[in-house]
Amino acid sequence: MSLHDQDDPALRAAQEDRLRAVWKPPSGLFLRWTDCNNNRVGVWYVLTAFAFMLFAGVLALIMRTQLAVPDNDLVSAGTFNQLFTLHGSMMMFLFAVPMFEAVSIILLPQLLGARDLPFPRLSAFGYWSFLLGGVFVGGSIFFNAAPDGGWFMYPPLTTRTDLSGLGADIWMLGLSFIEVSSVAAAVELIVGVLKCRPPGMRLNLMPLYAWYILVVAVMILFAFPPLIAGDILFEMERLLNWPFFDASRGGDPLLWQHLFWIFGHPEVYIVFLPSIALFAMLVPTFSNRHLLGYPWIVLAAVGTAFLSFGLWVHHMFTTGLPKISLAFFSAASEAVAIPTAVQIFAFIATLWAGRVTWSTPLLYATGSLAIFVIGGLTGVMVAVAPFDWQAHDTYFIVAHLHYVLIGGTLLPLFAGLYYYWPLITGKRLSDRLGRIAFWMLFVGANLTFFPMHFSGLMGMPRRVFTYPAELGLGGLNMASTLGAWLFAAGVAVICVDLCLSPRRAKAQRNPWGAGTLEWLAHPDDEDWGIRSIPLIESRYPIWDQKDFVQKVDEGRFFLPDAEEGRRETIVTTVLDARPLAVIRLGTPSVIPILTALSLGGVFILTTYHLYWAALVCAVATLACAIWWLWTGTAEIPEKPCKPIGHGIELPLYISGPAAPGWWAMFITMMADATAFSGLVFGYYFFWTRHADFPPMAMADGPGMYWPMVALVLGVASWLATIAAREVHARGDVGIARLLLMLGIATSLAGIAAGLAGPWTHGMDPENHSYPAIVWTLTVWTVAHAGIAAIMQSYALARSIARRMDPQHDADIRNVTVYMHFFALTAIVAYATIGLFPNLS
Amino acid sequence: MARACTLIIALLCLSGCNAQQSTLSVFGADARDIRHIAIVLTVGAVVILAITTMLYIRAVRAPEHSLDHHQGMRMILWVGAIGPTLILTALLLYALPAMRPRPASAADLVIRVEGEQFWWRVAYRPPSEATPLLSANEIRLPVGRTVLFELGATDVIHSFWIPGLAGKMDMIPGRTNRLVVKAEKPGRYRGVCAEFCGLSHALMAFDVIAMEPAAFDTWMADARAIGPIPAVATPGRALFDAQGCGACHGVRGTPHAGTIGPDLSRFGERRTLGAGILPPTIDNIATFIRAPQASKPGVRMPAYPQLSQEEARAIAHYLKGMR
Amino acid sequence: MKDRRPHWSERLKVTLWTLIVPPTIWAGHFLFSYLWAAVSCAKAGAFATFPTLFVVGTVLALILIALSGWIAWNQGRIPGASPPHEDATDIDRQRFLAKSTLLLACLSFVGVLFTSLPVIFLRDCL
Repeated sequence: MSLHDQDDPALRAAQEDRLRAVWKPPSGLFLRWTDCNNNRVGVWYVLTAFAFMLFAGVLALIMRTQLAVPDNDLVSAGTFNQLFTLHGSMMMFLFAVPMFEAVSIILLPQLLGARDLPFPRLSAFGYWSFLLGGVFVGGSIFFNAAPDGGWFMYPPLTTRTDLSGLGADIWMLGLSFIEVSSVAAAVELIVGVLKCRPPGMRLNLMPLYAWYILVVAVMILFAFPPLIAGDILFEMERLLNWPFFDASRGGDPLLWQHLFWIFGHPEVYIVFLPSIALFAMLVPTFSNRHLLGYPWIVLAAVGTAFLSFGLWVHHMFTTGLPKISLAFFSAASEAVAIPTAVQIFAFIATLWAGRVTWSTPLLYATGSLAIFVIGGLTGVMVAVAPFDWQAHDTYFIVAHLHYVLIGGTLLPLFAGLYYYWPLITGKRLSDRLGRIAFWMLFVGANLTFFPMHFSGLMGMPRRVFTYPAELGLGGLNMASTLGAWLFAAGVAVICVDLCLSPRRAKAQRNPWGAGTLEWLAHPDDEDWGIRSIPLIESRYPIWDQKDFVQKVDEGRFFLPDAEEGRRETIVTTVLDARPLAVIRLGTPSVIPILTALSLGGVFILTTYHLYWAALVCAVATLACAIWWLWTGTAEIPEKPCKPIGHGIELPLYISGPAAPGWWAMFITMMADATAFSGLVFGYYFFWTRHADFPPMAMADGPGMYWPMVALVLGVASWLATIAAREVHARGDVGIARLLLMLGIATSLAGIAAGLAGPWTHGMDPENHSYPAIVWTLTVWTVAHAGIAAIMQSYALARSIARRMDPQHDADIRNVTVYMHFFALTAIVAYATIGLFPNLS
Repeated sequence: MARACTLIIALLCLSGCNAQQSTLSVFGADARDIRHIAIVLTVGAVVILAITTMLYIRAVRAPEHSLDHHQGMRMILWVGAIGPTLILTALLLYALPAMRPRPASAADLVIRVEGEQFWWRVAYRPPSEATPLLSANEIRLPVGRTVLFELGATDVIHSFWIPGLAGKMDMIPGRTNRLVVKAEKPGRYRGVCAEFCGLSHALMAFDVIAMEPAAFDTWMADARAIGPIPAVATPGRALFDAQGCGACHGVRGTPHAGTIGPDLSRFGERRTLGAGILPPTIDNIATFIRAPQASKPGVRMPAYPQLSQEEARAIAHYLKGMR
Repeated sequence: MKDRRPHWSERLKVTLWTLIVPPTIWAGHFLFSYLWAAVSCAKAGAFATFPTLFVVGTVLALILIALSGWIAWNQGRIPGASPPHEDATDIDRQRFLAKSTLLLACLSFVGVLFTSLPVIFLRDCL
């Protein structure tokens, strides 16, 4: 096919018909929900997250009304505690993070000129998990069973079952479920950015939004797993009475605070950076020029991501840790302001250098920047430890964090809403209503939160359901309450604007005159995403590349057709986006929903202590996952290669580090290894807390023999898999199968040997934190050995079923990636429990 | 902006002055130092905010090409990167020395305070004495002397905060935290629990009384000198004994030595009831005894509905009489 | 221009992985500082009058960051058109990665210096 073939309108129409048929969404009352196309799943995701935001906002309004006057009794103390816990938890876990993922699921394929993200079914799975978990957590308040320990759920208040009820379990298990879906989305987005860029979009031409998404998704991989590790310890204590946080049995409540804030502080940047990414898209558009300082923005994004992991203790400045430890974190907390300043001044310089077109999105961006800068400056203040000793846990912090989150997340999202609404719906929102809403939000936010700086310094602690009149805080609180109502009215105006939108006329294409790829979207959008996948030569191709839009629309770039009736997109190299292969994408299926339901069942049934039913769900989850992988991945294509236009022919099958599947496995295992390191941290943390660890009475621990046997077996299983991969690649399929069987056998033997250590030494995990953490590390490693056996069996079965052969060996390569991480886990875990007691 | 400022100042004035529990009206050396830091930080923040706002407004209004690529990059380098780095370095050099804890010596008065749901267990340990002096929900401090607080908790995490005296310090089960303070101005103040600790977290405060050193020494000597109180058969005392109040509440000089609930010795001189939440009038005490949950949700003390209000008032009179 | 064999620091390949070397060193140093203080305070109750280990670790981190910054600087020094460098060429991609790495090295250098400041002012475990 050459460029001129596309001159024929009939050919183009035929191509369009084929594309339309391939990307046709499923219809029917039930089947429509099995869709996995990013534009539809993304919209569901956004609407759900928006609904949770409104719900959590109403909770905040009730709280503000209760606090309007001193000694009020609108709600009881118990209800109030549920309100603030749910408000914070929902805004963080059910709004801010999912909203970023939702927006990215919609935008990223458009920005990258891809037909869809590499794993559409994974997006659908993430959405259904999110919906299920969110309804479970949010709905609990209607049964007076909502969590009531504050969004950071400090034990022992929340782990002692006599002081806290079902709410704590709902928080832990419901939100763990959502964390799993967040990690799934992160995997999807990272692989999307690294492997699914259009040909020619080198790293230095990537839209900055994609850079930010890459950075944020990587942060999720390293930030969420420590919380998952914390959740595991937490539920072990609540459900099984293993004393990780019970000081009377060698536990320490501070361990939770460490694990929570290792998650919690990066979390702030996880929800802030995507909003800055929206600025990075709309500032160039409204300055009518390229953004200044592209490498500086990348510096800022990457630098912030790293530094944000060195801040967690600044939430623990008053816990009595040595001052020197606090000082390290104070220093890092100051340092993180540098990249933030760089970002802000890159935007200011761009606006200065360009010709500014004033618009509603820019108005929102301006207002949010103003609010964010105030929040950032108070952030620098509280990073100064002595000041924080006064400000900590007061309304000053409430003011600070809301300035940051409203200026750094919420208002930028509204800016993005007004900016991208035409892209998603083809309609523009009302500028007039938008401006009215903006001023209500801006004044409302300041009126609510500015006085809180003073009420905090005047001695008002946070999380109080009332306050005495004698403290003289009534006026400030009344102002805050009035501001909150004004803010809520502003949100209501936006909702009205959204509701009126369907009745408005279609907007023109690219209404803001932007230069980036996502604005190729047509108001009468087709489900195929992009007509042909372009060759990129500029950061702003619509501005800079000649006849760009026309060429894309006429299918003059790559992959303008779907001859084989399959959904396809192009995979490219990480650095320079050279085309590598065409991959076939997942199609609408019921599997993601079923997997989400059964996994949700595991978490939700465990909450109610229905362990057998939860086990059934776990088995169902495993079955769904295998069904999904077996039918939906590493399919051997009907022909080795296909042309994508311009004389380029690409393979239809790739394996190893070039393939998206390999990256997905690698990234997932990075998250898994991070969670594991959270548990190992627990072990060594207890060591620093106790003069004798292991305690004298159990100095022998699990002994050295069985852990070492388990270690050797784990390494043997790993080596067998590597050998199987190598032998298989050389064509000796029979030997490879034998090696896989050996691998399965050693993995299973490793389970027995791993459990034998603590079992034969009679370690009672309810007794003390030492046996509890040893058992936890053991169970974690043994579970991974079990998964290793399943994976090795899977590769063996694929080989026997002829779905894997030496030319098509993605399965065994991906299993080997898992085994690398498994070997690492086994070595660290067994060396820790087996050898460390002899050293200390 | 100006209107907003006026409004805020007006509101601050309306809300009146709170000299009891504020980081702005200080009576301790540490709170004074931190207030100084806060003022420096605030002024710095306001100046930076003003500069950024001005630059932003100029940027938006500037005609196209009023900044070329090189000038723009120089702005990012100097205003975005180097400027903030220098400011933050200066800030660190200013703030780090302020983190040094106040030195304490073995000759200092030690006050052990433990947070409980939802009250404060207090024990004074002067360096010269072997046995501690027990109290609850009230802390007395000698002005001008260094005092070492040993802070702990048994049930859940609490946080010990006297805003006018010093920064807060968490009370964590299994740990003992130290806080060294020095009061500078005599007077009556208030402290609160700053870490969320359950249902009545908002209702967990205490009174702080900073006294001249001589007055403090006299008070301490008087408190320690309480001998056996003769068992005068007042109706209140009889009810107190009969209802088993002493199983939880200790009263020096009587056989009651319970340690589960707040110590009630010299209850009559306390300024508040129920850990800083109610004036200790006879009626309030009586109502509290009969239904503590009504004024303090989640409190551990059982209700005494079997007592008539009159009987409860009798106990209240007995308690008020202990000074 | 005379042909010359490229300096070794120019021959090294900048990739996405080399981009994160300087901040990773910062992270390693930060973790080291935290663990050093936490373990010495928990196990020894104090740290040495002259914190030798800490100084060695800090100097090492600073040298490594400076080295990676220097390599990046060398790699970015490619003769050619004046900035902005934002073309679809291998050279501009290389320039971009080199410049970003250099900037990250500067930030990480400052970060390590910030982290080491507390040890000058605070010398005990209270």
